[in-house]
Amino acid sequence: MLTLKSVSRHYGQASAIDGLDLVVPDDSYVSLLGASGSGKTTLLRIIAGFEEPDNGTISLRGARLDGVPPHKRGVGFVFQNFALFPHLSVEDNVAFGLRYREERPVRDKAEVRERVQTILGLVGLEGLGRRAVGAISGGQKQRVALARTLIAEPKIVLLDEPLGALDANLRERMCDELRAIRQRLGISFLHVTGSETEALLMGDQVAVLADGAIAQIAPPDDLFRSPASATVARHLNAFNIISGTVSDGRLRSPVGALALPTGTGARNGQPMSVALPYDGIAVKPRRDEASDGISARFVTAEFKGPSMLSFFRAADGSLIQSLVHLSEPRPPRYEPDQVYALDFDPELLIAFPERAY
Amino acid sequence: MDLANQSNGAAIKREDALSPARKRARRDEIQALKLAAPGIVWMTLFMVLPMIMVVYVSFWTQTTFAIEPTLTVDSWVRFLTSPTYLDSIVTTLFIWIVVLAATLVIGYPVALLIGLMIRNVTLQTALLVVCIIPFWTSFLIRVIAWRPTLGTEGAINSILINLGLIETPFTSLLFSELAVIIGMAQIYCVFMVGPITFMLARIDHSIIEAARDLGAGFGKIFWRIILPLSLPGVVVGAVFVSVMVLGEFATAAALSGRKVNMLGNIIVSQVGSLKWAFASVAGVILTIIIAIVITTLLRIVNIRKEM
Repeated sequence: MLTLKSVSRHYGQASAIDGLDLVVPDDSYVSLLGASGSGKTTLLRIIAGFEEPDNGTISLRGARLDGVPPHKRGVGFVFQNFALFPHLSVEDNVAFGLRYREERPVRDKAEVRERVQTILGLVGLEGLGRRAVGAISGGQKQRVALARTLIAEPKIVLLDEPLGALDANLRERMCDELRAIRQRLGISFLHVTGSETEALLMGDQVAVLADGAIAQIAPPDDLFRSPASATVARHLNAFNIISGTVSDGRLRSPVGALALPTGTGARNGQPMSVALPYDGIAVKPRRDEASDGISARFVTAEFKGPSMLSFFRAADGSLIQSLVHLSEPRPPRYEPDQVYALDFDPELLIAFPERAY
Repeated sequence: MDLANQSNGAAIKREDALSPARKRARRDEIQALKLAAPGIVWMTLFMVLPMIMVVYVSFWTQTTFAIEPTLTVDSWVRFLTSPTYLDSIVTTLFIWIVVLAATLVIGYPVALLIGLMIRNVTLQTALLVVCIIPFWTSFLIRVIAWRPTLGTEGAINSILINLGLIETPFTSLLFSELAVIIGMAQIYCVFMVGPITFMLARIDHSIIEAARDLGAGFGKIFWRIILPLSLPGVVVGAVFVSVMVLGEFATAAALSGRKVNMLGNIIVSQVGSLKWAFASVAGVILTIIIAIVITTLLRIVNIRKEM
C-alpha cells in the first residue's frame, strides 16, 4: 500500500502539489486523472524520488520513502517518452535493472537471460530481444519500457501517460494488455493520464487531481454517477457545468432558470453549480422566451461514429454540449444560428451547493 | 511546350523521357557538385598537390647547400638509422599519449559538469565561453606565460617556498618534458571539453532517471549509460587534440629549452637550415602517424551514426 499524507511541492510562488493525500491499495489499478499542468507528473516524480516533497510524507508498505534516493525505493517508473537506453538492444535494456542495480544485482548470466525471456514473453515481445531500440515501433518501445520496469518486480509501478505517444488503435489494445499484465503480476499500478476515457477504462479506482490535491477517488462508475464536486464533474468531460444562485427552489443562472432535482433543499441565495449530462438533453424547437430551461443557438456538431456531439451557445455566451447516441433515433439536422430549447429531466441534474463567498 | 519540344529535337525528348523522380535526383546531384566544387579545388591545390610534392621532395638529393631533383633514398635512410630522429618519433608519441590522457582526465569532469549537471542552457553557454576565454590572448603569450609560472624562481616555486612546503625550489619544472606536457594539456584541454560537452548535453535526462529508477547507482550509470553515450564526443575531442599535439613544435621549443624534440621541431630546424629533403621525410612520417592515429580513433566509435 502506497500512502501519501499532505504532500506539497512548490516551485517559487506556485504550488504544483498542495497538501495531497492519496492511498494506492496493494494489487490494484489506480488511474490518476488530471488536466495538463495539474501537477500529475510532479506527483509521480515525487513518489519515484526524482524530486522530494516540500512537506508531507510518502510511505510504501509502512516504510518511509521520502528522503530515500530513487534507486533504493523499489518503485517502478514508466516514462511518457519511454526513456529507453538508445545504445543498448531490447534485451540489454530489459536486463539493465537486474544487472546493474545496487541492491541484489543478478550476476548469474543464465538467470538474467531466462528472466528477460520470460518478461519479454509477458509483454508480447518474443524474438525481438536482439533488435536495437531504434529499430522497433512505438508500441514495441512502450512494451520494452514496461518490461524493463516490471523485470525488477517493483512493489508499485508508476505510469506517466504511458499511452500518450501511441496512436488510437494501439492505445486501446495496450489498455487491455496493461490491465491483464497487472493482474497476472498482482502488483499495483498508478497510471497518470489526461484522458477521462482512459482513466475510467483502466482504473479499479479513479483519482481526480485538481488544484494540487485529490478532489475525489472512487471506482469509475461511482465517480461518473456521483461526482463529488463541480471540478470533478468537469474533469469527466461528460457534463455541462452551470453555476448560479438558488431562488424559490430554482437555479437562477446566466443561461436561464433551471428546475432543481427533488430533495436539493437549498435556501434562497445559496450559490450552486449543477452538472447536466451531455446525453441528458433533448433538443426541441424554440419556445416562448419567458419559460423555464435553456434556450441556445446551435453552433456546430461533431459526428463521432456511434454518437453525435452538438454544440450550442447560450444567451450569455457559454457553450453547452449535447450528446446523442445514434442507437436512438437520429436527431434532425439543426440549423446553424437557429435558437433551440434544450430540455432535460431535472432529476438528471447533479447539484453541488457551494460555499457563499 | 509541345512546340518547343518538337523543335529542340532529340536531346529534350530524352530529357522528357526521364521520370520526375529521376529529374529531381539529377538536379540534386548537380547542386551537390556545385557546392562541393570550391572545396575540391581548394583541397587539390593546397593539400593534395603539396602532399604529393612533399613525398616527391623527400626523395631528392640533398647536398650541404643545395637540393636537386635526382631521386635517392639517402634522406630516408639517414632518418631511419639515426637514433636522434627515431627518438623524436618516440618523444612525439609519448608526449601525445600523455597529453591526450591529461586532457581527457581533466576535461571529462568539466564536460560532465557543463553538459550534464547544469541544466540551465544560459549557464551552460556562459561556462563554455569561459573555457575559451584563454584563447582571447595569443598562443605565444599563453605558452610563454608558463615560464614565469614554472621557472626556478617562478610562481609555483615561490608559493611552495613561502608556504614552507619545500626549502629548495624544483628545478625540473621548467625546461623539461613535464613543462611541455603541462603547457600542452592546458592549451588543448578545451578541445576535449567542447565535443564531450555537446554529446553529454544531448543525453535525455529521463534516460538517466530511468537508470536510477531501475536501481543503478551513480557509478553504474556513468559506466553503462553516460560514458558510452558520450564516446563519440570523446573520440572527436581526441582527434582534435591528437592532430594538434602531434604536429606541435612551438610549445616544445618554448618550454623545453630545446631538450624535447618532437617531429615538428625536427621539421622546423631542418627547414631553417634549408635541408628540404630531410624536412620532407619528417613531414611524411608525421603525416603517416597522424593518419594512423585518426583511423584508429575513428574505429572506436561509428561517428556516422551520430551525425
